[in-house]
Amino acid sequence: MDAPVRRPIDRPTFLRRLSPGFIAFALHRLTGVLLGIYLFVHIWVVHHLSHGEAAFNDIMAVVQSPLFHVLEIGLLGAVLFHALNGVRVVFVEFGRLVAREVMGRTIFATLVLVAVLTLVGAVPFLRLAFGH
Amino acid sequence: MGAPTMTRDNLGSSHAGTRDWMLQRVSGVALVVLLFLHFFVLHYATEGPVTYDKVMARLTSPAWKVIDITFVVFALYHAVNGFRAIIDDFVHRPLLKLILVGSLWVTATGFGVLGILTIATLTVAP
Repeated sequence: MDAPVRRPIDRPTFLRRLSPGFIAFALHRLTGVLLGIYLFVHIWVVHHLSHGEAAFNDIMAVVQSPLFHVLEIGLLGAVLFHALNGVRVVFVEFGRLVAREVMGRTIFATLVLVAVLTLVGAVPFLRLAFGH
Repeated sequence: MGAPTMTRDNLGSSHAGTRDWMLQRVSGVALVVLLFLHFFVLHYATEGPVTYDKVMARLTSPAWKVIDITFVVFALYHAVNGFRAIIDDFVHRPLLKLILVGSLWVTATGFGVLGILTIATLTVAP
């Protein structure tokens, strides 16, 4: 361990910032912003239902192209990370996951679970994107 | 045990925002359930692609209207609270913060009204 460096203001170095907790925080914020923007667009797209079948089908034709089906896998990944990491945060605050020894491991477990569930959940989107 | 349990009464000025913090957890846990249901019904229990008839079959039923209106309200509240947390982290000038958080609420309310009206008024075309 290096001797502690005295600074006028104690700013964490970039490497200390890249701790598991910071990575989880940054990913939670990034996915949160993306999901927030998605929510606004989603409400606007789905509101075309009230303009009748033709209007709805026109807008859905744009967002159901193969490219968008692949992008939906990213949406699934963002949703899964934000949901599972959010649950982890609740257990940090109300349960026993705050301990330093388990923090890194639970974050790693969250990322593994998100990766596995995203890959499994991607199947119907890939079938839609590539036609089978 | 070390320090006394922190409550609203001995948090000093940092009690501001505890309600937003708690409601973000409550709405978050609710959204985990609602979003799982939403994703499961739309993408796994129903064969794609999404069509007008499939969506209308759900959205004309009163039970789904109630579920989806609850969903819209919780999701928009959770989103506003999250965006507001980011504004709180980076914007410290009171007037600018007021303008940003104010326009955030106006935008979200607008989309909320659009979403709720869409769900509430959908009927099968005569």
